[in-house]
Amino acid sequence: MSEITTTPAQLSVRHLTRHFTTRVPGRLLHAKRVVRAVDDASLDLVRGQVTAVVGESGSGKSVLARMLARIIAPTSGELILEGTTIPAGAKRTLEYASKVQLVLQDPYASTNPVHRIRHSLERPLLIHGAKKHDVEDLAKAALSRVSLDPPERFLDRYPHELSGGQLQRVSIARALCVKPDVLLADEPISMLDVSVRLGILNLLKGLCDNEHLAVLYITHDIASARYLADEIIVMYAGQIVERSRGTALVDEPTHPYTQLLIASVPDPSDPTSQASQSDEHSSYAVPEVGCRFAPRCPFVMDVCRTTDPPVFQVGEGHTSRCWLYADRPEAVVEMALPERRREGETTKT
Amino acid sequence: MDMQLREVAPASAHHEFVLEVNNFNVDYGVGENMVRAVNDVTLKLRRSQVLGVAGESGSGKSTLVYAMTRLLRAPGVISGGDVTLNITNDGDSDEVTPINLVTASEKELRQIRWSHVSIVLQSALNALNPVLRVGREFHEVLKTHRRELTKSQRHARSVELLKMVGLNEDRLARFPHELSGGQRQRIMIALALALDPELVIMDEPTTALDVVTQREIINELNELRSRYGFALIFITHDLSLLIELADEIVVMYAGAIIERAGASELYEAPRHPYTLGLINSFPPMHGDRRELTGIPGSPPDLAELPEGCSFAPRCPYAMARCLHEAPALLNIGDSDRSVACWLHTGDSSVTVPVELSRSSSPSRAHVTVLQDHT
Repeated sequence: MSEITTTPAQLSVRHLTRHFTTRVPGRLLHAKRVVRAVDDASLDLVRGQVTAVVGESGSGKSVLARMLARIIAPTSGELILEGTTIPAGAKRTLEYASKVQLVLQDPYASTNPVHRIRHSLERPLLIHGAKKHDVEDLAKAALSRVSLDPPERFLDRYPHELSGGQLQRVSIARALCVKPDVLLADEPISMLDVSVRLGILNLLKGLCDNEHLAVLYITHDIASARYLADEIIVMYAGQIVERSRGTALVDEPTHPYTQLLIASVPDPSDPTSQASQSDEHSSYAVPEVGCRFAPRCPFVMDVCRTTDPPVFQVGEGHTSRCWLYADRPEAVVEMALPERRREGETTKT
Repeated sequence: MDMQLREVAPASAHHEFVLEVNNFNVDYGVGENMVRAVNDVTLKLRRSQVLGVAGESGSGKSTLVYAMTRLLRAPGVISGGDVTLNITNDGDSDEVTPINLVTASEKELRQIRWSHVSIVLQSALNALNPVLRVGREFHEVLKTHRRELTKSQRHARSVELLKMVGLNEDRLARFPHELSGGQRQRIMIALALALDPELVIMDEPTTALDVVTQREIINELNELRSRYGFALIFITHDLSLLIELADEIVVMYAGAIIERAGASELYEAPRHPYTLGLINSFPPMHGDRRELTGIPGSPPDLAELPEGCSFAPRCPYAMARCLHEAPALLNIGDSDRSVACWLHTGDSSVTVPVELSRSSSPSRAHVTVLQDHT
């Protein structure tokens, strides 16, 4: 697969930022506060690869996905689809929607309960210009692609008649209907039963490997990211704090937040892994200046409280936004991105 | 202890167990459309032990504990079996009073609930009254159950309880919406422990929380348990979490217990194909990445359970017998673990697959025992 090394990213974002302005509770009406939901995020989604974004609730990972789907407009930064920069402030077009599709967390909430599955699948097809006499076959084909066989059995059912796993497959089929190049999956398995989760993950992996979709997989479950992803990105409080090709980030985490995250995952194969820094408790204000993780960081230094850390190169295709690595070369984000697709670097499962 | 409860003759033979459930059945609805949500469940819980209940949605795990504590509302009906809670009398831990929770009157239940059995629910946001400050919740329970306390004593106890779960006392003046999910769940745990219960039931207490917060709460729970010695029933779908936390685990499928074993035994040497499938459904954090398959198919619909073993349609080892005869939960050999599977009935004509006949390593078991005693 040497072509992949030269394949340009299907969808790229550069310095994507979204700030929300909220009113401070209990203060005068004009007291405003800016929530930096996503700050300066750059990433490339490449055909045939899964990019995983890991973070806890409030880390900005869903806002990032919605900006990529152009449901939320970025405050600044640019989106580049197939090499073409999308002008700031431009309306989301049908053409964009046909190339970038979003799958949401809760399939029961994202399908209309009063319509049959047929309706959910055929409507996007009609909107995207399919001929009326073709839509049934196209809908069936989409169901087959997500292993719902035979498709006729599912077309005339209502959402409540399907299990969570089946319905999540339907919502993936609905996204695939319009033949997108990029699939954004926002926590696609967190609402599902444990025993059917792997089925969905393997489906995403298969779409990526066999149909060369570019997949963005958003999750809070770092183990599933490790299982699936060619690149893993960890977000904390709106910033990308660590990223790596393959599983380097999980195997050798460098950022203190990633280390905390990994130590917190229940791991039955290692009964001693109960380490956690925890006298302090989970509600922390994100500081205005300095490193956003500083209030929780066990290794915090003076510089962390005053200056936001730049991104440092800590390994092959592995970067960390932490002052602990200040002796390493600074990784300019734009440079780090293209070079990460080197031959043989990606570990396929 | 109230006089009325003491009249029941103490049965010291049972004092080892805080809870005994025998052949317990729970249905939703009656007559033709009845669905059996809990099917013939028998379990025992030792004092200070952690029992993990693992299962997917619809497996009956929540229904089991709601029915057990008589919190289940219509159309849920207890249709058989009994539940005995052995409560200790204050000051003398050897003497216990067995209470049959299935037949207990509302008045008896009122005396048992919270003082002896308390429950923590999944959604702490919904469990706390949004228009009351957190302190009111503490004051109300103490006012109702500890009438001898003065207002300042109640306040002191509330502060003490918050400290126990690692929260500052200024949280008492807060409304639930001002607290994070982890803080709310901590408050629920503090409330559950307010009256020193012997048994605490937690239904998916950490499912809605981030993994870091979940870790903090689990660590705290372990510490509280070793300090106060309450028994814990912990319900979750996250088997890997249970393996760390629980002493013993029961795995439920379609309303029945299909395997019961010590936590590390269950993980290292699962016997039921469903348990094995569940364990293999969690991608590992170490080692090479390899393709995992999970469990094919979907969890069953309780209204249309297949004949025979309810797991048979999804089971890679299903035999002809599995399709028409349901296996009972039986001990394996002379061990104290049990499984409901035709592969393990000692029938010599059945070859047990190697992945379902592994032995658990003694070193790990030893480590677990040592941890228990510290």
